Amino acid sequence: MAAVNLNTEKFHKIMHTEGAVLVDFWAPWCTYCRKISSAYDKVADQNEGKLIVAKVNIDEEEALAEQEGIEVIPTLVLYHNGKSIGSITAPESKARIDSFLQEALAKQ
Amino acid sequence: MGVLLPLSALTQRRVRMEHIYDVLVIGGGPGGYTAALYATRAGLDTMVLEKMAPGGQMAQTTQIDNYPGFDEGIDGFLLGEKMQAGAARFGAKTELAEVYSAQLSGDVKRIETSEGVFLGRAVVIATGAGHKRLGIDREEQLTGKGVAYCAACDGMFYRDKTVAVVGGGNSAAADAMILSRICERVILIHRRDNLRATKIYHDALTKSEKIEFRWNSTVNRLLGEGRLSGVELRDVGTGALSELKVDGVFISVGRAPATELFRDQLELDRNGYIIADESTRTSLPGVFAVGDVRTKALRQVITAAADGAVAAHYAEEYLAETR
Repeated sequence: MAAVNLNTEKFHKIMHTEGAVLVDFWAPWCTYCRKISSAYDKVADQNEGKLIVAKVNIDEEEALAEQEGIEVIPTLVLYHNGKSIGSITAPESKARIDSFLQEALAKQ
Repeated sequence: MGVLLPLSALTQRRVRMEHIYDVLVIGGGPGGYTAALYATRAGLDTMVLEKMAPGGQMAQTTQIDNYPGFDEGIDGFLLGEKMQAGAARFGAKTELAEVYSAQLSGDVKRIETSEGVFLGRAVVIATGAGHKRLGIDREEQLTGKGVAYCAACDGMFYRDKTVAVVGGGNSAAADAMILSRICERVILIHRRDNLRATKIYHDALTKSEKIEFRWNSTVNRLLGEGRLSGVELRDVGTGALSELKVDGVFISVGRAPATELFRDQLELDRNGYIIADESTRTSLPGVFAVGDVRTKALRQVITAAADGAVAAHYAEEYLAETR
């Protein structure tokens, strides 16, 4: 399953569910965001059932991006029980996303 | 203490260990996928190891006007996807794998990756080049917190702010132009007293009211706690230090080849590029280097693609001789 798109309302709703959520803050004009998108969908596939993998278009959800302190895109933020527990900016490989997830979740 | 892997991962690893590809291509840019296209069309069992997405550097360019056959130009990301699909049509496989180490000597070469070990009789290195860092203290720590490398990607975060661009070549000039349309003030910092960039940029840059120049200067230190607040400049003539307040600094000091993994095994030139002539053959038999990663006069999508075709030809010849 591909990563799910979230608007502000859905974002807040999902933050109230238990467990881990990975959110990719991106925008259509960001060329590097496009470059990670298919690898990101694969991360969603491989973690189905374990983790919600989602994305937020910061052009459409500007206030939300600001509230979450996003300064550079793509930034991937991992939330656990509604709290941010780590982030990475412009990961250079799918393996980097995988290891970030593994390390951050292992601490929970 | 060992790491316990799930059974499926172990099985996958074992299967890959037993399978020996004819050609392993490292990197899925235009050089890599053209090598894969020609190799599979020659009947060779070919695997491309790509760490993120097809296209390489061109995937971050939305308009490519100097690759022939597209009269209105083509989006670099789309061209990358097309090159992958074109190679896949003849059987080239792709694994989203990051290469951790490579053993390139001998008849069977061994590539260790995030997705397990891959074996191949011939290897085509198409790892390309990436942006060069300044190499100063806290550069990595402040990346994304005021330090940036891509004006087209991160420029929007500096709307109506003051930024510096470091460099004097074409990419620095292009970055300064992009940023001048977004930011309030752009300061171009260059270690010489004139730009290396092509003439067409000079007029545009000097005409822009938003762009200022700091000649004969290098960045000595990044200022700010947690977030960049400015840079300390050093005058290359007098050694005098001065502070410049900026919200962001875009580093555009050129490119460096991705050859770190191969430096102990292959002959590289003093800039780190793999030494290979037009045959793409490297200092090791059965190992070929294509595109931006090899020593060559012109680094373009079309010359990378051409290298890929040539590498597949010589890989085929090599495999026929060694079998």
